[in-house]
Amino acid sequence: MAESTEEVAVLVQRVVKDINNAFKRNPHIDEIGLIPCPEARYNRSPIVLVENKLGVESWCVKFLLPYVHNKLLLYRQRKQRLNKDELIDVTCTLLLLNPDFTTAWNVRRWVLQQLIQENSLPTFVKKENLATFPTERVQRIVQEEVEVCGEAAGRYPSNYNAWSHRIWVLQHLAKLDIKILLDELSSTKHWASMHVSDHSGFHYRQFLLKSLISQTVTDSAILEQSPLVSEHISDLPKDDNEEDTSAEHHRVVDLSHLLEEEVELSTDLIDNYPGHETLWCHRPLLLQRRHVFYLQHHLNNKLPHSQMRLSPVDSNGGTLNDLNLSPAVTHMTQAMDVDGLNDSNKQGYSQETKRLKRTPAQDSLGIEMEHRFIEQILSTCRNVEQARFANAYRKWLVTLSQ
Amino acid sequence: MKLYSLSVLYKGNSKAILLKAAYDVSSFSFFQRSSVQEFMTFTSQLIVERSEKGSRASVKEQEYLCHVYVRNDNLAGVVIADNEYPSRVAFTLLEKVLDEFSKQVDKIDWPVGSPATIHYAALDSYLSRYQNPREADPMTKVQAELDETKIILHNTMESLLERGEKLDDLVSKSEVLGTQSKAFYKTARKQNSCCDIM
Repeated sequence: MAESTEEVAVLVQRVVKDINNAFKRNPHIDEIGLIPCPEARYNRSPIVLVENKLGVESWCVKFLLPYVHNKLLLYRQRKQRLNKDELIDVTCTLLLLNPDFTTAWNVRRWVLQQLIQENSLPTFVKKENLATFPTERVQRIVQEEVEVCGEAAGRYPSNYNAWSHRIWVLQHLAKLDIKILLDELSSTKHWASMHVSDHSGFHYRQFLLKSLISQTVTDSAILEQSPLVSEHISDLPKDDNEEDTSAEHHRVVDLSHLLEEEVELSTDLIDNYPGHETLWCHRPLLLQRRHVFYLQHHLNNKLPHSQMRLSPVDSNGGTLNDLNLSPAVTHMTQAMDVDGLNDSNKQGYSQETKRLKRTPAQDSLGIEMEHRFIEQILSTCRNVEQARFANAYRKWLVTLSQ
Repeated sequence: MKLYSLSVLYKGNSKAILLKAAYDVSSFSFFQRSSVQEFMTFTSQLIVERSEKGSRASVKEQEYLCHVYVRNDNLAGVVIADNEYPSRVAFTLLEKVLDEFSKQVDKIDWPVGSPATIHYAALDSYLSRYQNPREADPMTKVQAELDETKIILHNTMESLLERGEKLDDLVSKSEVLGTQSKAFYKTARKQNSCCDIM
């Protein structure tokens, strides 16, 4: 069925109008989907509305998508004007039909930046101790964007664009706020565990850990300059905004614990879901990060020893004495304990993990433990891929000790 | 990692008969769900028809893995999952379900049954529980009564077919697939991707 360009334009404009009308009629539409339908049926609109689902018959997509795509490009090239509503409709349609469409994500980021800039209210507030916190408004926007990313990530395996957008949001909107980083780390844990071959998801966790390390080091530099602050860590003035106080506590984040937890997650997933390359890529990066972290803090002595050595069991009773901490640091450690920072840590740790924590920096890579881990995998696994990955990993480990 | 369907079938002499099935098509777009469900039924039947009695196999088709267990008494089960879902857990589930089914439903009813006449209601809850392999399965290594080396691996659906048989023909002849599903298949085939419209 040959159609002239005018006919196509008329048709598409009618379809876009039908879509707009559908959204106006039902503001609760939460999904737009394709109805497999190879041929148009006599003058009937390809737009179908059922419950909160908007359907587009597939025959019209080959007209619709290029049209909307083209419109967006012309807009970006400043060859055509689109008002805010049209822009929203266009990017919305594009993203719904193709969640991996890069330009639409770019436009979304641009809009977010405009939103932040045009508003005269500050996006971050400073407190007396020089730290900054995101306002509630920013937190809300961050939360919404993170949800959009989560939705898009679920529709498309290893959705690079969705996860890059999520990273961008944390960097530019949330400014790598520690509390938000920690929340993201814990909220993506389950998702990652249920998407063990999603490379982008695990890359995101690497980004979070890396950012937490760099942010905490930055903050501890501030802490160091202001001795008043470090002494009063647990005596912060009570705020109306509860989030501020807890965020302050989180600045004395137990990074070593987070890293250990991530290694445990890696072990657990590798054990239970054999043969996924993503997991085997995640692990060496993790070990290296942990190694570098331990090295830096042994050498530079920037952080009090308690932050590296503090494991849940060690934090109580006589074992603290083993660490030869100075009185000031001991006080800080006990203060941290009092505010229940380590509540979540009070599960039993294996003897191995405890031993690792007291090991000098040279074996902070835990190479010995890794070799034993590989042995165990190779001796029990029956998955060909798993064996291949385990062997490759062992080869890598060997190069480290050379 | 996801489970999409869990079905119990009877391997008859020439055809596989669907006795009961549970589906989770919530991750598919709304308008595709009925077609996807029909395809899963079609696939499950085809796999059972082409599998030997007393065998276990995993058939890969793009990002889906179909795990099948055909018992010696011709009772069969198929789990359709994605490629993240651990196959060991899938086979544990099949073993469990078929065992329970054979105790609850009389053998006499198998060759002539259908989802409407068979009384076995546990599939939906199994499918839902096993979505998270950890909650459902203790994952103890001891559970390796199953000899994983005996599981046949097929890299495509095509490898199940006889020489000269084409999947396209089987699809168009199928009584299980509606016209819309067949049209859907044709379009997807053209674009060389099943269930992936773009």
